[in-house]
Amino acid sequence: MTQPTQAAAGLDPYNDTADYGPWRFLHRLNPLSKAAALLPVMVLVIFTRDIYTPLLILLLTVALILVGAHLSRRALVTLLVGLPVFVVVIATSFGLWTAPGDVDHSVILFQIGEYRFYLGAFLIGLATSLRLSSLLVMALLGGLTTTGPDMVRSMVQQLKVPYRIGYTALAAYRFVPRFGFELETIRQAHRVRGVAGGRGPIAAFKRYYGYVIPLLAGAIRHAERVALAMDSRAFGAHPTRTERFLVPFRVRDWVFVLAFWAAVAVIVVTSPPG
Amino acid sequence: MTNGEPILALDNVRIRHDERDNWTPNGVTLDVADGEVVLILGPSGSGKSTLALSLNGLIPHSISATIEGTVTCGGRLVADTGVAELSEQVAMVFQNPDAQIVTGTVLDEVCFGPENLRLGVDEVMHRAELALRHVGLWDRRTENPDRLSLGGRQRLAIACALAMRSRLLVLDEPTANLDPAGIDEVYQVLHALVSGEGEQVPHSIVLIEHNLDAAIDLVDRVVVLDEAGTLVLDGPVRPTLLDNLDQLVRMGVWLPVSTLAALRLHGCGIELDPLPLTPAELTRSVDALPRVPAVAARRNVDPVERPIQISVRELSVTRGRTPVLHGVNLDIRAQEFLAIVGTNGAGKTTLVQAIAGVVAPPRGAVRVGDLDPGRASVRELSSTIGFVFQNPEHQFITHTVFDELAHGLRIRGVDEQRVAARVDEMLDRFGLGDLRAVHPFLLSGGQKRRLSVGTALIAGAPILALDEPTFGQDRERAAELLGLLRELNDDGTTVLVVTHDMQLVADYASQVAVMQAGRLTAHGPTAQIIADADLMIAAGLRLPPLATAMRNLVNHPQWHGITRLQDLPGA
Repeated sequence: MTQPTQAAAGLDPYNDTADYGPWRFLHRLNPLSKAAALLPVMVLVIFTRDIYTPLLILLLTVALILVGAHLSRRALVTLLVGLPVFVVVIATSFGLWTAPGDVDHSVILFQIGEYRFYLGAFLIGLATSLRLSSLLVMALLGGLTTTGPDMVRSMVQQLKVPYRIGYTALAAYRFVPRFGFELETIRQAHRVRGVAGGRGPIAAFKRYYGYVIPLLAGAIRHAERVALAMDSRAFGAHPTRTERFLVPFRVRDWVFVLAFWAAVAVIVVTSPPG
Repeated sequence: MTNGEPILALDNVRIRHDERDNWTPNGVTLDVADGEVVLILGPSGSGKSTLALSLNGLIPHSISATIEGTVTCGGRLVADTGVAELSEQVAMVFQNPDAQIVTGTVLDEVCFGPENLRLGVDEVMHRAELALRHVGLWDRRTENPDRLSLGGRQRLAIACALAMRSRLLVLDEPTANLDPAGIDEVYQVLHALVSGEGEQVPHSIVLIEHNLDAAIDLVDRVVVLDEAGTLVLDGPVRPTLLDNLDQLVRMGVWLPVSTLAALRLHGCGIELDPLPLTPAELTRSVDALPRVPAVAARRNVDPVERPIQISVRELSVTRGRTPVLHGVNLDIRAQEFLAIVGTNGAGKTTLVQAIAGVVAPPRGAVRVGDLDPGRASVRELSSTIGFVFQNPEHQFITHTVFDELAHGLRIRGVDEQRVAARVDEMLDRFGLGDLRAVHPFLLSGGQKRRLSVGTALIAGAPILALDEPTFGQDRERAAELLGLLRELNDDGTTVLVVTHDMQLVADYASQVAVMQAGRLTAHGPTAQIIADADLMIAAGLRLPPLATAMRNLVNHPQWHGITRLQDLPGA
């Protein structure tokens, strides 16, 4: 979806969106159109109480991902196997927590001693579980098909977010693996010094607390250096900067947003009352 | 700008960081002309890096410091011009390549500066291509910078500076973090830049560098600051260095090894003429001598006498799915001073971490004394082998220097009276006596390093392992630490050091183990390993400068084996 204005598109997933052809259309959409389509629906789902609405929204989103996103094998397995398991496990767990007095007692699913697990309780759990799962899958739709740099670009280009904020956030993104590595080194170093200090949550807390100072000291120093390097290269010199990649908001983005909303509206309207 | 006007002019500049009392630099006046290459020298603490930061306005605009006097760059007063605006006059390259990278691909990185200047896309791309071609990274433009070697990332930082098209380039210790191959890469790029290859605009360069042996060919002029930050010498390289040798040595300025060799020979009445600055000049001057005294064969540490203390058998290590070590076999005898050398990523650190049990090796692959680090507990291990991490801060776990040293004894249940006595002894031994109540993070770099060595040894470990202890340090601090290690070694401690500084290896190590792509390719006495040029080159290492000069002698082959200054006849 990113239009390289001159250079060949990069191969690094960190940077440029790889284009997987017209079928994998989600990668070609503006990141903001995905956010605009999904965010209101996510809010809507939070307020639903039935099973029908979140279930159909869930199926719609999964279908969109299966068609429109380029998925790794792991993502595919997660989506087709992991997701149904997640739905059932969460539905059962929530069902167990439901007050038995409030539910329909006509069908007993199983009984352990005096405890009866009613279908009614399971259905209440299932509604909650589907709400959570559909939120998750909608977040996944955006996450799997959008790169950080594109998100920042579209926020700067369409939402007029100051580029100083956007690109600084992007630079900070580079810190994450670095701090992960540094934390691992600190853990090794503390272990070598014999800070193992027992099991359990309190010992673990004390251990992690000990990692904070060296990690912060390193982080602050690193951030200062990066800031100096960015200053030295004219970052923030002008109110705008050249955008080599344009992330336009096209007709197809409008079509995607409106079509998604329309589909959700149909689902809401056709949902059985009560 | 008119012709002849200096590109950079400093008038009586003195700088004081807000939290410090003294002014370093203190009263520096100098001009840099168009196309000039100036090297700034001085002992640590003389304010060289501080001075560099003032050239593009980071001081006072981004760093809180008081600056007096004036810095004028490209005709503009730095104090009145923003850093961003000045970036069109001065470009900076810093010591750590990783702290300069902000984007996700090599190409984006080079475009970052020109984009900030609001140049047109065509111009941005044109500059990026030229700059990347100049440093030889154009073909790798789509890659994540993390996949480049450290030397490659520093070349990228130089390309980023070139893309700014400023006429002055300031480099602050650009090779301090690099391995020998990386240092060569960076200097090749700088040489090409100075000789005007490619379509780059001519640059003036201000270079701060402790590695004089690499830099000396590049520079026209040298400026020397003393310990108080005062400018004491300023002039063309050769006369300025060679006519003031005594003064420079007294001030603690690190001279090229070839010059130090000449000084040592002078001490026993051998005069070299002309005085050498580079290995090639040293070779020529020594060859010009009618005769040279025989040198005593290097005293070999008697390896047969001492028992094997550490043995590594068929050690293979994988990280994730990537094999890092392949079947390493290595015996280390008591009281050796072993340097493990190789390029970044050759597996040096993994090897020494497995030996010290930092990352548990497969059971039975390593023996240290009576222990298997794959099974032993931390307490058992730490009384047998002490490990010092690259960054000493990572190891500090208490709030005072005293507690830091005491920790290793307290976890063993030693009673407080004996803890106090032993810690006092260590504080004296490592020159930290006055700092016992200070927080470890507030120590200077050298003090932190000494403290981390102290904590590694407090439990009485007879073996000390250090991971790149001289990484990113200037020559003085590196020498101070290695001097300490030599004393410990003389007192009976076995020392293992991971490093790629070959002159330090030549000067201090008794044995060398060479790692290359996860395999041990050679292991033996230092003189023997360093003499094998093919082996060194294959492992991505370089001969230390003195060894290079001596090997090339034509008239005096009896000196071919000399690799360190102490081997030369001297006073």
